[in-house]
Amino acid sequence: MIDDFKDKKLVPLWNKIEQGERLTLDDGLVLFHSNDLISLGKMAQRVQQRMSGDAVYFAVNQKIEPSNICALACRFCNFSTKEGQAGAYDMEIEEIIGKIAPDIGEVHITGALHPYRPWEYYLDMVRRIKKHVPQADIKAFTAIEIDYFHKKFRLPVKSILQQLKEAGLSALPGGGAEVFSERLRRLLFPRKIGAATWLRIHAAAHRLGIPTNATLLYGHVETYAERLTHMLRLREVQDQTGGFLTFIPLAFQPGSTGIKPRPEYTSAVDDLKTIAVARLMLDNFPHIKAYWVMLTEEVAAAALNFGADDLDGTVGGEKIAHDAGATSPMELAKERLIKIIHEAGKIPVERDGCYHPLDIHREKVIGKIPYLNSVPFYNYFEKGSFKMLPVVPRWMGLLSLKDKISAGIFSLMDYLGQEDRLAMLDFCIACRADVQSVLLFSRKKWPDLDSGKIGITDDTATSVQLLRVLLKHKYGLQPQLVRMPGPVCAGRDYAAVLLIGDEALKRKKFGLPGFNKVYDLATEWYEWQNLPFVFALWAQNKSLAAKDKVALHRQIDQALRAEELHPSSLSTLHGGRIGLTPRETRDYLAGFTFRLGEQERQAIAVFRRLVASLDPPGGEGRAVPAPVRHSREGRDGAKK
Amino acid sequence: MNLANIYAKINARVRIAPEEGLELLREAELLDLAELARVLRFQHNPLPRVTFVRDTNPNYTNVCENDCAFCAFYRHRDDPEAYAASVDEMIRNFQAAAKTGVTAVLLQGGVNPALPLDYYLEMVRRTVSEVPEVHPHFFSAPEIIGLSRFSGLSVPQLLQKFWDAGLRTLPGGGAEVLAEGVKKRISPRKGTAADWLSVMQAAHRIGYKATATMMYGHLESDADIITHLESIRRLQDEYQGFTAFVPWSFKPDNSPLGRSITQRATPTRYLRIIALARIYLENFPHIQASWFSEGKKIGQIALHFGADDFGGTLLEENVHASANFLNKTSAEECIRMIHTAGFDAAERTTLYAISQVFPLAI
Repeated sequence: MIDDFKDKKLVPLWNKIEQGERLTLDDGLVLFHSNDLISLGKMAQRVQQRMSGDAVYFAVNQKIEPSNICALACRFCNFSTKEGQAGAYDMEIEEIIGKIAPDIGEVHITGALHPYRPWEYYLDMVRRIKKHVPQADIKAFTAIEIDYFHKKFRLPVKSILQQLKEAGLSALPGGGAEVFSERLRRLLFPRKIGAATWLRIHAAAHRLGIPTNATLLYGHVETYAERLTHMLRLREVQDQTGGFLTFIPLAFQPGSTGIKPRPEYTSAVDDLKTIAVARLMLDNFPHIKAYWVMLTEEVAAAALNFGADDLDGTVGGEKIAHDAGATSPMELAKERLIKIIHEAGKIPVERDGCYHPLDIHREKVIGKIPYLNSVPFYNYFEKGSFKMLPVVPRWMGLLSLKDKISAGIFSLMDYLGQEDRLAMLDFCIACRADVQSVLLFSRKKWPDLDSGKIGITDDTATSVQLLRVLLKHKYGLQPQLVRMPGPVCAGRDYAAVLLIGDEALKRKKFGLPGFNKVYDLATEWYEWQNLPFVFALWAQNKSLAAKDKVALHRQIDQALRAEELHPSSLSTLHGGRIGLTPRETRDYLAGFTFRLGEQERQAIAVFRRLVASLDPPGGEGRAVPAPVRHSREGRDGAKK
Repeated sequence: MNLANIYAKINARVRIAPEEGLELLREAELLDLAELARVLRFQHNPLPRVTFVRDTNPNYTNVCENDCAFCAFYRHRDDPEAYAASVDEMIRNFQAAAKTGVTAVLLQGGVNPALPLDYYLEMVRRTVSEVPEVHPHFFSAPEIIGLSRFSGLSVPQLLQKFWDAGLRTLPGGGAEVLAEGVKKRISPRKGTAADWLSVMQAAHRIGYKATATMMYGHLESDADIITHLESIRRLQDEYQGFTAFVPWSFKPDNSPLGRSITQRATPTRYLRIIALARIYLENFPHIQASWFSEGKKIGQIALHFGADDFGGTLLEENVHASANFLNKTSAEECIRMIHTAGFDAAERTTLYAISQVFPLAI
């Protein structure tokens, strides 16, 4: 149905997107000037679904603005006051902690530029909040505040960020970006930092493994071209760092600010267009947020079908938008968010600050592995009454333990650990020789790996167990396996690192400096056992209704058949995103077996025995998780 | 059932069956529905134009004996807040509204046994003669049913008397969801679904035009919504008496039903119903999206989901207000909302005749 454009000017743009080409500023103007709202929405939703399936994320979160006493006075802000003025407030840390419920998933702190609080106050705030709610992600201090700390406390930006991180900071919020335009800065917020400083601070955070968000304050006197320039500058930085999680367009609230917006701003149509255009322009941002506090509940709900995949959260209390007359209720209960997402036809996914799926609130959800080798199952898959959630194998396993996943491609270890609730289907991801995407990058040959640490990733247990089996039974070695906390390139302390999925493919092509030996674990297994290796397999929850089981099996089979007959461009596109040529992608996928044959079943049985003989059996990686956070998830991380 | 087959049917302008409507309501992608609805909307109304009416929605009495579970407006006779306005008072109300440019009065009230038939007839006659600037759009089906009970006249007899007095259109309120099971639970004394339909049928037979409404988002199932649409589509086949379909969601505050249904239906549900209505009710000339009942922003969006009318300016409104749902506009804002949604605006009469066009300046 997407080819039926009312506005024919959109057709060439859609073709560009389909071929993996990037949209330009001029393309963006065509989008903004189009009155074909529904086609814009369909384009954006299609792109969004490729990235986040049917998921819409929300957090049980708390916003805190510790003070409104501000050294600045920006024209568009109704929030800031001076000390001693009526309404001025200034919270002590105890007071802040008192506002945070113990079961919170995310704490969001932004505030004014306080004239005399010492640096220790801020570090202490983060430390004590983290101590109070250790499970929560702390997302605190906009670039404006970071820059203010840097100048006021005469510390380098990097050190400010590093100290905050050590105190427990998880991410930076995206505020203070306003619009990246000197014209508008001089006009509206002359004393705020400019675009260059804002972007520099965010890039610095990304390099330290601190993910961040980015906002756009639109709907006042900016032009469409200025909105687009803003998006393009973010896209550029994201290409370099991959550290942005979410883009958040903020609809301007005129309130009593004295700014008179252009007449076409911001209608609900303008709001939805901005969401859709952002989704299409920011092709390297994992998420687009419809922030209901600013957009209203009405527009935010509709935006879930126009490219947005995040609704922010329960928020707790939000002062800034309300002081400017935003009309949405002060607190949307979690139930309301769930209902809004559900009625939008999506999966309500409760997340932490880094988009890990802590819980999902919908039946009949299929987990979708976001790796290239799973693509052949999904292009022609008719979802029917199922919904699709992209999720890395490890989190899929965890959600399945809570019976939250009806079916999906499970890491073999997760399947073996959950045979009581999971039933195997006849489809798998297996290979008979090299796999190319489960690789041990090593500084040494196998025999020399006995001493020293091997870094492993957190995404799947099967590859880790395969490595352990090979080390113990094939080579008789027992080196120490250590989870790598941060980006894999920081592997200086390791003798070898195990990489899987798209990251492994990319590194195979472009190399991992210092690690000159690359061992393909599937090849290692094949040469040893003369059997294929099954990395993952389709399985369904045993409680799934009989008719759904039948439908599911048929759908997988038909989808795979269709892909075998007419390979879709989807895998080429996906391969392109991680730097593979169409040919390399084809060759890579040709190495897999997607149907579970006799040899594959035998391989599973052999592997099961070998894993059971490990000490501890099946140990590291498979068991119940202390959620290890990926400090950085760019376009190739968990959120495909 | 296959969605693609249903879409093909719709594109070929073949009427869809109730079970196909149900499949669409349950399974279709929202924007696929919107796309289909938009094509049909421009077929019904080829101009990129959205109409509205300058109207007011006063209530002559809040005394009602029907005790509907969803209503926050009514009071019993002995309640200190109970009121019943005289005809004089209402005429003054209409005259004041007319001075502000209002051209239509949508008048409804509780089912109040204390008011005699003459009160109602006089209200019509005097409006026609004393406030000729406004079109009387008076009395919903439940009031007609109540009046029939109190006066001993049959519904057709009553409607004929009103017609003779000068009434030409009826508001479509009181339908809620036209499925007997639902009506029995939320408004057992307001008349059955069949009663509502028979009032409309009698009216259409005489020559009245009316709107058809639906209040959803309480106890109804998806299938009940389809039953509702199917009932009014059938009636429309017979007499073409409906001008427009007007859905809105139940507002839970201050009503007994609101204690069990605490959450309003979501904005997306509204968009889905608007689009589905445009598809299902292919014999209805207009689908009305209201800036009022769900909020201005969702009203604007609905104009892209198959609706071609923005309802009235509602100078006065008390029923939603009793449920703490407050929303106000002016003709100027109404025009601006239509413009910023990307359409020309046009002021219309109750019977959908265009009186003035406000083109979207490009």
